[in-house]
Amino acid sequence: MICWMFPGQPITFTGVPSDDIEFQKIIRVCQESTGCNPLENDISDSDISQSVRLQLLGTCISLHRSSQLTIEGKVPDLIAEHSMGIYPALAASGSIDSATALELTYRIGVAMAKRGMQREYALGCVIGMSCSPLEEIAANNTVHIANYNTSHHFLLAGERKNIDAALAEAKASGAFSAAGFPCDAPLHTPLIAEITEGIEQIVAGYSFCEPLIPLVEHIGQTVLTAATIPAFLVDELCRPVYWDTTYRTLRSRGVTQFQEVGAGKALSKFNRWIDSEI
Amino acid sequence: MSDELIPKVKQMIIDSLRIEGMSPDEIDTDAQLFGEGLGLDSIDALQLVVAMEKEFGVVVPDAATGSTVFASVRSMAAYIAENRK
Repeated sequence: MICWMFPGQPITFTGVPSDDIEFQKIIRVCQESTGCNPLENDISDSDISQSVRLQLLGTCISLHRSSQLTIEGKVPDLIAEHSMGIYPALAASGSIDSATALELTYRIGVAMAKRGMQREYALGCVIGMSCSPLEEIAANNTVHIANYNTSHHFLLAGERKNIDAALAEAKASGAFSAAGFPCDAPLHTPLIAEITEGIEQIVAGYSFCEPLIPLVEHIGQTVLTAATIPAFLVDELCRPVYWDTTYRTLRSRGVTQFQEVGAGKALSKFNRWIDSEI
Repeated sequence: MSDELIPKVKQMIIDSLRIEGMSPDEIDTDAQLFGEGLGLDSIDALQLVVAMEKEFGVVVPDAATGSTVFASVRSMAAYIAENRK
């Protein structure tokens, strides 16, 4: 059984297949549907933060890769997603088209970026520490674990000063590495709850078809349906990504091959780690 | 002494990172492992830390030490030679 995995946003603008004609077509679709080219840094548009550009770029790369695989005659038995990978995953499942995936990425990304204008937020990547002590550190510093990627790979999110303090505490407590970087908004935390009304209004403007390929979500590992997709798109912004559990669940459901459909190899590396523990 | 470890270190990198289609001879002993070169990242680093401890009984305590140890295959072999019991 084959599963296509759609990763979240990339952290850099490297590794982009800019010269590929098919990729350029997707960039054009992106421009038409959102008015934004993620490869161009248009500083005149204050709505477009670096994070939104990266989110759009991630969706473009995933849509391109998915299209390539489809042209090669490949079809997955299941689809899984991580964080912002939900939008191209929905397109690959047949629930929405590519333009809608890009539009949703853009509109939700911009809504979250506006949230970030109120305070300075950051993410913190903690590697080489187990869950319980890190949860304690997160609670001590009023930040949240946004991604449970493996038993020893986590992403924290929260206000920048609190993330800095949490990362220092994680390092002092034996984390192998703890690195912070700025972000627009504390995605996958309850701090996003303040803007969910606006996100609900955005999502309500779209219709979702029944996925043709089962799409497993990253919170409770359920298979999304046309009826559950809108609520999930709002809910997932306020709740953590449980990739470790998602991968183990997919394995237990009989998936034997995983294909990462997007920028980078982070999910494949997380899977490699989890496999080493099974 | 550490030069004898170089083929073993290369094989450990291939096995622990599941690098497909690459033989130990294809890894340049002095090439950068992170960023350019093999293009490894912090997720790979932790995997190498675990593999080094399992295979050679050598501990890399933190990322700061890791950035020196994992600079190249040669530096990994030297660290193992100096620190293994």
